[in-house]
Amino acid sequence: MKRGWIVTTTEDRVAVTAPPALKTRPRDDRRVAWLFLAPVLIGFAVFYLYPTFRGVWYSLTDYSLLNTPSFVGVENYDKLIGDAQFWKSLRITAYYVVLNIASQTVLALGLAALMHRLTGSIMLRATLLLPWLVPNVTVALLWMWLLDTNLGLVNHLLAAAGLDTQGFLVSPTQALPTIAIINSWAYTGYTALLLYAGMLQIPVELYESAGLDGAGEWRMFRRITLPLLRPILALVLVVSLIGSFQIFDTVAVTEKVVPVGAGRVIYFYIYQQAFKYFHMGYASAVAMVLVVILGLLTLVQLRLLRASHSDLT
Amino acid sequence: MKLKPGRVLAWTALVAFLLVTIVPFYWMIRTAITPAADLFTDSTGVVPAHPTMINFWRVLGLVDAERARAAGGSGAEISFLRYTLNSIIYCGLIATVQTFCCAMAGYAFARLRFPGRDLVFGLILAALMVPPIFTLLPNFALVKNLGAIDTFAGMVAPNLLMTPFAVFFLRQFFLSVPREVEEAATIDGAGRWGIFWRVVMPMSRGPLITIALTTSVWAWKDYLWPLLVGRGEDTRVLTVGLGVFLQQSPNTQPDWTGLMAASTLSVLPVLALLVVLGKRLVQSLNFTGIK
Amino acid sequence: MPRFGTAIAALTAVALSATMVACDSGSSADADGRVTLDYWLWDDQQLPAYQACADAFTQANPDVTVKITQTAWAQYWQNLTTNLAGGSAPDVWTDHASYYPQFVTSNQILDIQPYVDKDQVDVGQYQAGLADLFVKDGKRYGLPKDWDTMALVYNTKLVNDATGLDQLTWNPADGGTFEKAIAAATVDANGKNGLDPAFDRAHVKTYGFLPEWADGGQGQNGWGDLAVANGFTFLDKNPWGTHYNYDDPKLAETITWFKHLIDAGYAPKFDKQSTLSRDAVMDSGAGAFTIVGSWTIGTYLGTSAKQKYAFAPLPTGPAGRRTAINGLSDAIYAGTKHPDQAWAWVKFLGSADCQNLVGDKAVVFPAIKSGTDKALAAHRAAGRDVHVFTDEATAPGGTFFLPITDHGNEVSQVVQDAIQSVVLGQAPAADALKKANDQVNGLLQ
Repeated sequence: MKRGWIVTTTEDRVAVTAPPALKTRPRDDRRVAWLFLAPVLIGFAVFYLYPTFRGVWYSLTDYSLLNTPSFVGVENYDKLIGDAQFWKSLRITAYYVVLNIASQTVLALGLAALMHRLTGSIMLRATLLLPWLVPNVTVALLWMWLLDTNLGLVNHLLAAAGLDTQGFLVSPTQALPTIAIINSWAYTGYTALLLYAGMLQIPVELYESAGLDGAGEWRMFRRITLPLLRPILALVLVVSLIGSFQIFDTVAVTEKVVPVGAGRVIYFYIYQQAFKYFHMGYASAVAMVLVVILGLLTLVQLRLLRASHSDLT
Repeated sequence: MKLKPGRVLAWTALVAFLLVTIVPFYWMIRTAITPAADLFTDSTGVVPAHPTMINFWRVLGLVDAERARAAGGSGAEISFLRYTLNSIIYCGLIATVQTFCCAMAGYAFARLRFPGRDLVFGLILAALMVPPIFTLLPNFALVKNLGAIDTFAGMVAPNLLMTPFAVFFLRQFFLSVPREVEEAATIDGAGRWGIFWRVVMPMSRGPLITIALTTSVWAWKDYLWPLLVGRGEDTRVLTVGLGVFLQQSPNTQPDWTGLMAASTLSVLPVLALLVVLGKRLVQSLNFTGIK
Repeated sequence: MPRFGTAIAALTAVALSATMVACDSGSSADADGRVTLDYWLWDDQQLPAYQACADAFTQANPDVTVKITQTAWAQYWQNLTTNLAGGSAPDVWTDHASYYPQFVTSNQILDIQPYVDKDQVDVGQYQAGLADLFVKDGKRYGLPKDWDTMALVYNTKLVNDATGLDQLTWNPADGGTFEKAIAAATVDANGKNGLDPAFDRAHVKTYGFLPEWADGGQGQNGWGDLAVANGFTFLDKNPWGTHYNYDDPKLAETITWFKHLIDAGYAPKFDKQSTLSRDAVMDSGAGAFTIVGSWTIGTYLGTSAKQKYAFAPLPTGPAGRRTAINGLSDAIYAGTKHPDQAWAWVKFLGSADCQNLVGDKAVVFPAIKSGTDKALAAHRAAGRDVHVFTDEATAPGGTFFLPITDHGNEVSQVVQDAIQSVVLGQAPAADALKKANDQVNGLLQ
């Protein structure tokens, strides 16, 4: 789900280290090249390019998956503007993204800094990576159980500490923050390892000389780590953000217990429209909106990213 | 070294992170070995009073419906052995074929010259920006019309041959491989394919494994697409099996002990991977991350 | 480039083998003409009864086996629609009056009227009105399999004085004697009951009433029955109405009364409610009364129940005592590869042979009278008093059918959301229900 992130980080790395393509021997490999490319091009044309056009077409049709699509113009988009549930799902998604990204980034940054200054043992890093390797479905089930109102470990601990037990997923106000935290749990270790890898690139001498100047850890973190980590932090943010918009698994698993549809994010809404109510055309229109939103977000972020790069150099 | 209070605090925080990571898994296993009947009376102890393996046996489909029902299940047919196998097939097919195809394409984009190269590569890059759900809807319609619902072919199809990311990643890597090596092979009379297969591929083991691992992890966790396309028993993967299991619980309450046993099963292969390949995996993050 | 050729060949081989692993998970027929029918239902309690029917069916038709799959109610429709979307739906599935119209509109259910005519199935043999629920425009989309009514169930230890429980009254203003009974059964941590002035509603040990809030747009398990008893009607006409009346103040009053139960401490707070079902909470002794359907008789009076229970009729409201009566049916998938075998199975499910088997297991009341008699006899033999349900079913004017319209799936979600938001205090009942009503009527246009 959060697959996209590495993309930009890699680009960043390679863009710096890759030698510029040599312009020797202007040769034409066209025959062999198309053979090399054949499988990928087939896959791309059939499962990426073609469906992109189909998706746009569906969004302009009345299509139920069970009939043949018939063109209706912008009717689906018209309906979308007045659809309270659609707007609600957008609001819920935005709220989720803010909660998830904020908690996950802050925690990961703290964890990375701790590892950086204390220990980065492989054992530790492998353990921290575990939640990320587990399917989101498992993560969701596991936390549904841990947070169960009657029998869950967390409420047992709260009760033992003399605190009020909480509804968590069954409370309309706590449900979404709870889902955000659950996913932060799954991705914090992973994000921290990325940031940690970035921190390793910061020259140790900077910390040594700062230490000689009597700077404390907090000061070093603020004056050295944070500014030098900024480009990487920005990259990680971009990709987590886009991934976060696409939350589905956790919501789908917990949907049954979350009240008032408080967890019905945009991905889930699209899924329901297409596969529960047979409104494939309408679902495609909603998906189009998501494409536009994510496209705009990416553009804005890339701009910010470039700005932070130029800041540094 | 003197133990300053700040340092103690930092270590405490690190240990807290570790605990929060591990304890949920411990509790999962602890629940999995608790008899369902004890759940109400024995849900707080560090270890269950009457540990049992019955929950594992029943989610693996090794006991009959009557006994499964008695142990808290719904009596529905459930076989996580089968689902695990399906998951491995799903992961394995996608990871190997995709890595291979994308390596060929990545190499072509990095090294071969042909008209339209930049345009095609640009298109593939642009596809990175499209959220998967947008292509998922038409892809589902396509797979349905091909009659490939509930087949492995339909399940792996969209990602079997390529993902834009893998093409992009491997192209970037091949760009950074020094040309001299290949040129020497050219002088030896090797063709393009020979160079790629005998020279470039062997020296690219690191990135190839990285991309195959990343793809495997992603496929292992994948839920939405298999949920739509692999619904039948025969093609059901672990994640979908878990979802179905949750739904097939008795209507009165989720079958938590069985669910946690099944969840444990979905974690075990990953744990094994971490033990065997932990170092490789952790380092691959450094590799794909910023160097 | 021989190597290249090999690679391509290998690739093709992998792709091919992938295709070959593929299996058809839907109904299938092997070479000898043996057929396996897929059959879906949602109630795990009923599974053994229908398994018995399936076994009997295969005995009579050795070429046909039935594979039953159970999926919990909460996900049943989502699962079914996804399978329908993929063209791999079960050959036959258990259908519900409020949910089947969506499948009729999208042409997913086989019209069985021609079969009924050909085999001369007597649709008059079923409990009155049930067969007609599944007819639209002269086409028939299922045969009734069972019927159910609603009643109060109470924990006999927590409600020790059962006198007058069969005469309870209710109104949304002061809750009538029903609310008094609930209050009396509510006990706080100090042992004070809900009628005591010193009752501490913040620390309740036993709730007098357990409401069901995941109850779609029908409220069959509580609010719907009381709202109708208050004079509410769901639709302009049922079945196949085109205008919902969820904005009726009589419904708003009813929901507000339920919220009052929560505020008074007589019912658990919705946002701290158990993730367990009401059955499980009742079994843990944390609830005294709740409203249940006759399909749960086995849960409450069966051997696995952890408390002692008894049934009482629903309270009488301003418009009388009204219970939802609902019947399920079995639908045949329009895309089934074996329509004849599927019909044979549906006909068997709708026949006295199968319904008597189901009746013997006494989990539900079969739609055919003889099956119901069998169920009653089985209950009597086991010493279970279930007359409440049958009395209500036969009381003149005492029952109503659940709403049957198109888009039932969507209506359920919209209305359930609205009602939950009221109970949580996020919006006043009148506003939320008005908004929901506009929304669902918009769907029906």
